[in-house]
Amino acid sequence: MLNTLVRRFAQMAFVMFGISVLVFLIFFATPGVDPAARLAGRNASPEVLAAVRASFGLDQPLPIQYLMMMKKMFITQDLTSFVNRGQMIVPELVQAAPVTISLVVGSALLWVGLSIPIGMLAAAFKDRFLDRVLMGLVIVGISPPVFWLGEITNLITQSRYHDTWLFSWVPPLGYIPFSEDPWGWFKCLVLPCANVAVLYIGIYARLLRSNIIEANQQDFIRTARAKGLSEWQILFRHSLRTSLITFATLFGLDFGFLVGGGVLLTEVVFGLPGIGKLTYESLRVLDLPTIMGTVLWGAFFVVASNAIIDSLYAFIDPRARHAS
Amino acid sequence: MKLRSLFYTGAAPLAMSGAALVAALLAAASAQAADHRGGTLHAVAVSSSGTLDPQINYTTQYWQLYQSVYDGLLAFKKTDGTAGTEIVPDLVTTLPVVSDGGKTLTVTLRKGITFANGKELTTADVVASFQRIFKISGPTAGSFYNVLVGADACLKTPDTCTLDGGVVADEATGTITFHLTDADPEFLDKLAIPHAAILPADTPAKDMGNTPIPGTGAYSFTAYDPNKALKLERNPHFKQWSADAQPDGYPDVIDYTFGLTDEAGVTAIENGQADWMYDPPPADRLGELSSKYPKQLHVSPLAAYYYISFNVNMEPFNNEKARLAVNYAIDRNALVKIYGGPQTAAPTCQNLPPNFPGYSAYCPFTKEGSTKYAGANMAKAKELMKESGKAGAEVALLTEDNTMWKNMGGYVQSVLTELGFKVSLKPMSHATEFTYIQNTNNKVQVSLTDWFQDYPAPSDFLNVLFGCSSFHPASDASPNIAGFCDKEVEAKIQNALTVAVTDPVKANTLWADVDKAIVDKAPSAPLFNPKQIDFVSTKVGNYHFQPVFQSMLTQEWVK
Amino acid sequence: MADTAAGLTVSPVVARPALPARGPWATAMAILLQNRAAMSALFVLLCIIAACLAAPLYAHQIAHVDAFQSNVDGEIDIDGTTVAVLEPNTEGLGLGVTPIGPTGRFATYWLGADSQGRDVFARLLYGGRNSLMIAGIATVICLSMGVLVGITAGFFGGLIDTGLSRLLDILWAFPVFLLAISLSVVLIHGVQLGPLSFDSGSLVLPILIISCVYIPYVARPVRAQVLTLKHSDFVLAAIGIGVPSARILWRDILPNVMTTAVVFIPLMMVMNIGLESALSYLSVGVQAPDASWGTIIEDGQGLLYSRPWVALAPGIAIALTVLCLNILGDGVRDAFDPRSQVRPG
Repeated sequence: MLNTLVRRFAQMAFVMFGISVLVFLIFFATPGVDPAARLAGRNASPEVLAAVRASFGLDQPLPIQYLMMMKKMFITQDLTSFVNRGQMIVPELVQAAPVTISLVVGSALLWVGLSIPIGMLAAAFKDRFLDRVLMGLVIVGISPPVFWLGEITNLITQSRYHDTWLFSWVPPLGYIPFSEDPWGWFKCLVLPCANVAVLYIGIYARLLRSNIIEANQQDFIRTARAKGLSEWQILFRHSLRTSLITFATLFGLDFGFLVGGGVLLTEVVFGLPGIGKLTYESLRVLDLPTIMGTVLWGAFFVVASNAIIDSLYAFIDPRARHAS
Repeated sequence: MKLRSLFYTGAAPLAMSGAALVAALLAAASAQAADHRGGTLHAVAVSSSGTLDPQINYTTQYWQLYQSVYDGLLAFKKTDGTAGTEIVPDLVTTLPVVSDGGKTLTVTLRKGITFANGKELTTADVVASFQRIFKISGPTAGSFYNVLVGADACLKTPDTCTLDGGVVADEATGTITFHLTDADPEFLDKLAIPHAAILPADTPAKDMGNTPIPGTGAYSFTAYDPNKALKLERNPHFKQWSADAQPDGYPDVIDYTFGLTDEAGVTAIENGQADWMYDPPPADRLGELSSKYPKQLHVSPLAAYYYISFNVNMEPFNNEKARLAVNYAIDRNALVKIYGGPQTAAPTCQNLPPNFPGYSAYCPFTKEGSTKYAGANMAKAKELMKESGKAGAEVALLTEDNTMWKNMGGYVQSVLTELGFKVSLKPMSHATEFTYIQNTNNKVQVSLTDWFQDYPAPSDFLNVLFGCSSFHPASDASPNIAGFCDKEVEAKIQNALTVAVTDPVKANTLWADVDKAIVDKAPSAPLFNPKQIDFVSTKVGNYHFQPVFQSMLTQEWVK
Repeated sequence: MADTAAGLTVSPVVARPALPARGPWATAMAILLQNRAAMSALFVLLCIIAACLAAPLYAHQIAHVDAFQSNVDGEIDIDGTTVAVLEPNTEGLGLGVTPIGPTGRFATYWLGADSQGRDVFARLLYGGRNSLMIAGIATVICLSMGVLVGITAGFFGGLIDTGLSRLLDILWAFPVFLLAISLSVVLIHGVQLGPLSFDSGSLVLPILIISCVYIPYVARPVRAQVLTLKHSDFVLAAIGIGVPSARILWRDILPNVMTTAVVFIPLMMVMNIGLESALSYLSVGVQAPDASWGTIIEDGQGLLYSRPWVALAPGIAIALTVLCLNILGDGVRDAFDPRSQVRPG
């Protein structure tokens, strides 16, 4: 067991290392990216340019620069931005994290809370009217691009119908911290969460429906049916329970992916200053230290959720232990 | 007085009325002014602008705020209109006494001024502040303050900078003497911008980032988080010494929040949740705003221009006729339309903005026989194009990648195509475009860009953008993007710079001549001068637009 | 963002020997052809593709516009009155310029103009052509690469497997959008690949980026499937009687993997269309003056309040296309996934 854990950890570290090297190389392969001139100011003299280059260590060979950056990020934690002089990266990430986490947790509650009943109802009424309606709605829900859905939401709630009773409560775009105003925090997150959830409700409801239907055909369910259990009892006691394993696996992976910055577009559209928006902004201005910070943050959650799910899986399903 | 905000008419009745009326009005005004003291001004902006260090930050957004937080030895007069470009003594008693053919300037520090941390301002602070410009490798250390004696050593080894012999202080008398290596007609301007702000001598010699440095102004920064907000509150140690240089303000607090989109900013001001936004209202909302809230909009011309920069050292725009052809072919009115319509920008053919020192209207690139801009002259353009023999040349046009720039790029691309070039458009992110197009290694043929003044001096446009001294091949910092270094023009620039030391008025006519000469050689195609559009809430009164540092927030009434 | 989820919902097809009498492909096709919903979706999809391919026809023959040249001073004739395509505001302070809105006339600015005065409907068709082409080619590349990598890793095992799997791990853990955006930011200036040079405006760049990003989504399940197949009875038996590996690969493994790949096609299309539009929307995909549905949404974002149709139309086009692909994808999966055959009815 300990052996497995150590191996997992080494694997995670390797992946994170690989990603950071990749980001670093991509950055320095970009033409016109040299941050020195931007740091120095718009008509800096060559001497000032050289001084700034030296003071940011940009005159060092790349491997040294990489090591310096890693040291500043993880050990001294005083890595600063290449664009906003003096802007510290680690506190910036710490500040952005609650926004992303609030958004993802909120939408996760919505999508889990709604997709389970939808999936169950659809499975219970398989091929009948209710199933068709629910699955129709759900497939329409997963079709539009998420950023466009966000734009349209904004158009409706911020402008066109903002003055009607229906949407007059909608606060201006942006984020209100929970500590400042819990009610405002709730209000500013409702629509973004709903936007993220629409897609996942669809995916999870479809998944659950097909898993339940599949489970219904398994032998132990037939046995249960033969024992005279009612359809609903079977659904709750057996089919749902087995189907939820896949559901939970997928949930773990998606949750990690979203916390890691997968809600980038939603954050951009709704002006929420989370990890995704931070990444987007730093990519816009090609701010390597910030990009590095956010990408490692994102990668950590993806890798960690993968590892956790795999380990749990091995715990639940002995067959998977031998698979890899 | 053209630089005055179009909607600020307060000065007009004063000028027309008799003395008694003036006095009565003034009395009424001051009584009224006292009533307006207090309250909170809520400002919003899409994003913050980086470090709060006034000697490093180089953005309009924060220079505007520094006006009421920091003082230089000199200042631009805090008023609107062309009077706002006048330099007045700030921390010193009078304008510098100039001797030695402009190479020595002497000033005397005012007494009794204290920093926001309670310490009294001394000559040591002044000397330390000038050293600090070099110790922190300030952006303009090498381009603005290199005229100081001892600056060379400071640029070479910033850590040990003393500026020995360059800035000499006499603590007993409170005098400070600057020794320059060459006479510099713009040294006074350079003393009046935030990079020469006077900070406490014990300020660490590093970029202070998000930590506010105490200043001498009427307000101080009390909180700053670049992702969230900035707060200005009254400086408890402030006593007004010159209303022209550092006037006391009206609001008690300025709450400046970041992160709202410009659309959301407009909505917030409409709903009275915010009072002023830094960013111009999005083009999409201009129509709605100008119809519904004309009284809350203030449109003021900016000392800036948008232009096409040709690389004069590369095919095909090393050919002057090809460059002139583009100048004749571009319809500046079309670009103004893309920018937001004729009320938001004015077409131009020249490099100096209207009402700028040295400006003399000149516009050859239009219909025959018209002095004002009256649309493109395509016939002439095609003729020049034929003579140039460059039709069919491949051209890559660089522009920024936001919508407005891309639209302008799209238009310029159509025009170049019509002239016979094979054009590809290369949009680049805002962050990289400006340095990318400067570096000759990137082999940029033609690009769309803009330039905003640092301070109101013609050389800030003509010498910085077209002088030989600002062309540094293979460097990201080479503001002469065109790589234009013409012997004749350069001689004229140098002459104007020399004359300006002794006779600024005559120098301005020389600058006008330089501007004309550059327009005729066409290293650029000037397009238009933009205007600043400020949208304020109904609560805001006493709006003033200072021509160098834009609207004066602390002078606005919110009560 | 659906990506991990959508990718994972396809479970690798379980090992089975190829059916002798009626090939699995024929069976699957027969099932698919009977699926009314899938066939309707396919029909709508073909209509969309046809419309997009007819873009030049519409622009030149019907609307007489150039969808790529800005038309700032353009004027059009509506019922005898001349209207400017971009009309400066004259009310109040006279700030701002508004492009013409939907005219309701199919042949002239049916959906109005964008902020450069170009015909939105013509651009919508051209944009669709690019969006579908990019997604289509990227799907082909991504699937071939994914299958190749998956089979290589799974079949040969050992060091090759370890190397490839770690590489896939890195790509997999790299947040999709971040990877795509970072690659785009680099490549947008053009790229030199040996003798090949792609200019910044080239569509090759978004295609390359998009095809790379999703390789792990295909390669990982394929590898897992190959691993299962390798240990299945019929492959073990084949190895036992001394059938050469190349033959096993060709006869037993590839056909099984191909059915998985087929199930992946509509899914990958959906994911690629989504990624392309997102990248273009963030202005790191298709570059001006070329259009794609994503870039038109970006253009329309600046006009959302005054001319919402510029952004609405391409969004609806994407949603409709993706909807059809999803329904078709369900059909394909039902047809090719043997587990679904167990289902009665």
